[in-house]
Amino acid sequence: MLRRVLAIAGSVVADAKRRRTPYVVLLFAGVMAAAIPMLPSYSVGVIQAVYREVALAMVWVASLVLALSLAAGRVPSEVERRTVYNVLSKDVRRWEYVLGTWLGLTATVWLAIAAFTAVCQVVALAIYGEAMSVLWQGAWGIALEMAVVLAVAVAVSCVIGPMVVVAVVALVLFIGHSRGALVTSDSPLWRYYPSLDQLVVINPVAHGSGIGPRYATFMFVSAVAWVVAALLLGSLGFSRRDL
Amino acid sequence: MSPPTAPALRVVGARKQYESMLGKPKTAVADVSLEVYPGEVLGLLGPNGAGKTTTLKMLLGIVRPSGGEFEILGRPARGPGARARLGFLPEQPYFPQHVTAAEALRLYGRLLGMDRRRIISRSREMLEEVGLGAEARTQLSKFSRGMLQRLGLAQALLGEPEVLILDEPASGLDPIGQRDVRNTVLKMRSAGTAVLLSSHQLSEVEAVCDRVTILSRGEVAASGDIGDLLNAAGRTSVRARGVGEALPETLAALAEDIAFSGGVWMFAVRDEDVRRALEMVWECGGSVVAVEPKRESLEDYFSVMLARGGVDPDAA
Repeated sequence: MLRRVLAIAGSVVADAKRRRTPYVVLLFAGVMAAAIPMLPSYSVGVIQAVYREVALAMVWVASLVLALSLAAGRVPSEVERRTVYNVLSKDVRRWEYVLGTWLGLTATVWLAIAAFTAVCQVVALAIYGEAMSVLWQGAWGIALEMAVVLAVAVAVSCVIGPMVVVAVVALVLFIGHSRGALVTSDSPLWRYYPSLDQLVVINPVAHGSGIGPRYATFMFVSAVAWVVAALLLGSLGFSRRDL
Repeated sequence: MSPPTAPALRVVGARKQYESMLGKPKTAVADVSLEVYPGEVLGLLGPNGAGKTTTLKMLLGIVRPSGGEFEILGRPARGPGARARLGFLPEQPYFPQHVTAAEALRLYGRLLGMDRRRIISRSREMLEEVGLGAEARTQLSKFSRGMLQRLGLAQALLGEPEVLILDEPASGLDPIGQRDVRNTVLKMRSAGTAVLLSSHQLSEVEAVCDRVTILSRGEVAASGDIGDLLNAAGRTSVRARGVGEALPETLAALAEDIAFSGGVWMFAVRDEDVRRALEMVWECGGSVVAVEPKRESLEDYFSVMLARGGVDPDAA
């Protein structure tokens, strides 16, 4: 089972590597990172914090663009071009295909996040003479959130086309980050609200002392719960679909 | 060879109905049953929309059946492990465009659970088998339709399947490619593989199939040994040369289905008139090239059968 899932994931990564999108986004992110120090001057110490905040925000946007561009059309195009027949006619279960696809996309986007973060670190080292290793804590949160975004995108794309996938992901992100605006903390809904806020650590990373291992583990568990729920629904929808 | 007791492929009462939000549900397959035994090639024939591809897709788990039983090597077709020993060539196979032929086969080999060394040796062997040995490192975006079809066959054969399902295997191939596919199918049959072949090319089916099942409107319209279906009872086919530009009137009066090509006359006569017909050929200075029981072509049989069912044979 694992072998088949990894084979599918490997083919997704190989396919993504041959596309131009990851390189274009990486180049754009590099240019943006190099341009951040041109922002208006702040006092010493604050400027590094602003750099960290803008750099992580840029990594988040670049990762989201990459994730959606790779994931939204992946399953629909495989179904439409019927390349999926060669896979599913083997002894491959539908959920293995869904899981393998998500795993491959997540590996690709995580590699890109690592590259974006490394570029930001290099720029920080060159401009401020500071390695800013704390950026990797922010990257951890972004990586987990992108894993959730990809799971939602893959799940929705198992039953419907790319445009709807983008709309649903936008809706999930909006709902996931609107708990503070939509529900008060004394409401019983507060606890059960499907929030993604716990994955956003740009503020403590940029302006505070970062996050500890315990909170990082909590973020991981929370992201896994989202991913499992999304992939289960996606697999269920895909397994009931005539291809 | 004594017939094996267990079929390699078994479909009983297959049914597929597509539900519709508006209007009536559409029945693609109403009732199809078939069995294919090891070392046998079963041809699946039928006009467009007869339900051939939908039946194959249900068997492969690509389409969810509305009813019926599907077994592959004695296991329920949708269960785990059922398709492990099955090879499938889809109609007009498609592949990721940015990979090479060898890379594509590597993926399929891994999905089949083959180890790295076996994948490399078997891929090389299969690419040679389908005539793509020199194209292993060519990107698939540069492949012609015929080359993709050959690669589709290679991926279907990669795991040394015990059951092979071919949907229009000669589609997009030149005559040499079609011959190669035929030879491959016959080789697989000799090796004991059960082959289910869906095709529009009736000559291909006639050349390789032991039995045929003909579908019409989602149901089995005819099924059986190809010889039994095609032999025209009481008629003998005669081929003769040197008879002249026109058949003698007396001979023409006996003959039916008369054709002339390349200096050879072909015609059919009733069995009791064979002797008289041959004597007439010799009397007018001609020579007899062949005498054999008359067989309808599958095309003729198909047309008659479909016309009886009220289906336009040209759609087949």
